[in-house]
Amino acid sequence: MDLADRVATALERGILPSIIARGAGIRVAAVQDGVAILEVTGSPGAVLPLASRVEALIRAAVPEITGVRITGPDAGPPGSAAGSLAKRARRVLDAEINPVIAAHRGHVTLAGVDQGWVRIRLEGGCQGCSLAEVTLRQGIEPLLRARLPDMTGLVDLTDHEAGTQPFFSAEKR
Amino acid sequence: MKPGDAATAGRATAKPGAARVLLLVPARTYRAADFLLAAARLGLDLVIGSDGALPLGGLPVVHADPGDPDRSASRLVAATESADAVVAADTPMLVLAAAVAARMGLAHNPVKAVIAATDKTQQRRRWAHAGIAQPAFRIVASAAPEDSLRQAAARVGYPCVVKAVSLSASQGILRADDPAAAVAAAGRIRRILAAAGRPGNEPLLVEEYVPGWELSIDGFLDRGDLTVTAVFDKPGTPEGPTFEETVLTTPSRLPGHVVSAAVRTAGQAARALGLRYGPMHAELRIDDRGGRARPVMLELAARSIGGLCSRALRFGGGQSLEELVLASALGRRVSPCRLPGTSGVLMLPIERAGVLRAVHGRAEAAAVPGITGLTITIPIGRPVYPLPEGDRYLGFVFAEGEDYQQVERALGAARERLHVVIR
Repeated sequence: MDLADRVATALERGILPSIIARGAGIRVAAVQDGVAILEVTGSPGAVLPLASRVEALIRAAVPEITGVRITGPDAGPPGSAAGSLAKRARRVLDAEINPVIAAHRGHVTLAGVDQGWVRIRLEGGCQGCSLAEVTLRQGIEPLLRARLPDMTGLVDLTDHEAGTQPFFSAEKR
Repeated sequence: MKPGDAATAGRATAKPGAARVLLLVPARTYRAADFLLAAARLGLDLVIGSDGALPLGGLPVVHADPGDPDRSASRLVAATESADAVVAADTPMLVLAAAVAARMGLAHNPVKAVIAATDKTQQRRRWAHAGIAQPAFRIVASAAPEDSLRQAAARVGYPCVVKAVSLSASQGILRADDPAAAVAAAGRIRRILAAAGRPGNEPLLVEEYVPGWELSIDGFLDRGDLTVTAVFDKPGTPEGPTFEETVLTTPSRLPGHVVSAAVRTAGQAARALGLRYGPMHAELRIDDRGGRARPVMLELAARSIGGLCSRALRFGGGQSLEELVLASALGRRVSPCRLPGTSGVLMLPIERAGVLRAVHGRAEAAAVPGITGLTITIPIGRPVYPLPEGDRYLGFVFAEGEDYQQVERALGAARERLHVVIR
């Protein structure tokens, strides 16, 4: 079994179900100079927060792997539109989203725009909130899509486990 | 943003002809994200009803207060216009979901049956009436003197278990081995109920302690017929005085005839409560006193397994349990065929009261071969309480392997690597 196959097996056994559960897929595109290049399909925003876990898992299972790079589907070359998209995304966040989210002590920060992907972080009351996904997928994402038709997708980079003041905390039922 | 824009923005993302589901999401649930992902994977047109979500202007969010079911149901029916299914994401929304589905003319459980399933005294009475195997029990009124409690405990026999009737997740449950312990347990549970804001007239349940292997059964009811989605074993079944759930593994290692008997008992118990549709989660013990394995019902809920435990399950095509719940609610044929292998979850218990200061060793625990996920669900800096006062777990660790031994080893190794600091 070559390196790529071993990486694929580790992915399949260790983390693929979690990734599928988050609405995405992942495959081994190549292994070059000890670096595993993984291609994400579906919703990369659902996978990128797992990147460190994916790397830890692969490196533990295949010691020859020295690094992991995760790539998304090609959304076209980055260009001047990216800057414009960032400005427009920030404007929508500041004018239409943050004033509403402030009611729950929350805030959304634009972390960057890359090849049409808008990357955000949820902060304050939204970070770790049990309803953060509702806010994100039922509120922020469709609103941004409606306002920014050239947006390829929305990536949530928030480390929700690090949230210290979530507006709502989950209870086991 | 104008109100009209909200609907426009929402409709713009829904696929034409997509099935419409009203999903009722309580504010303090672990399960919002998983249900939203499931809805997205199924391409559903989703309307959210919640007592906590912000009406941000994207897709429709309707205020839904489970404490005011009549008005909430009217508001939800009016705002949703029509839906193909109504689904409660978690326990607090179950009764409201049944009420809304009834008004919309959708297949639903009778509201009375759902209420009965949330009240341990009603469960016990209905199961007794239907002849379902369960622990011997007595119901003790809130104002009853200590002597009544001692008599109830003596009737069921020691050791006994004293339970709050409206709490879940092992909160407010204590084993008592003698009369003094029973009285002390009742006092402590009443204080827990008061702290949880429960009505002062809530009775307590005193029941026989049933020793034996514990398991849980998840499945879907369709016109009362049960289709099983998962049978979880609970290795290390707690013996008290508190009843933490820690490790769950599936499929069950028990002999097929024992599992079949347990499934039959769970299905009968659901029907005895009047439940006919949707997910159910039953907890049983296998009482082997007297030399034969007899499944005994502990509890049953009209929902799928709680917390984040559903993430231990994966079905054909990589479907999640939440996808099956939504598909089943839409009347679609679901194939509860689990992917091969064994999976498990460790619910990290809170071992003492204090403030959660840190959880060290997460990366090391996550890197244990077989571990597929690790989530800490209580924010650092929050006060935490162990059972029976506590109502949540510190977090969840997930594992997969070829057999239950491998899964339990992985979960145990991960737990050893976690160092929880509570001060």
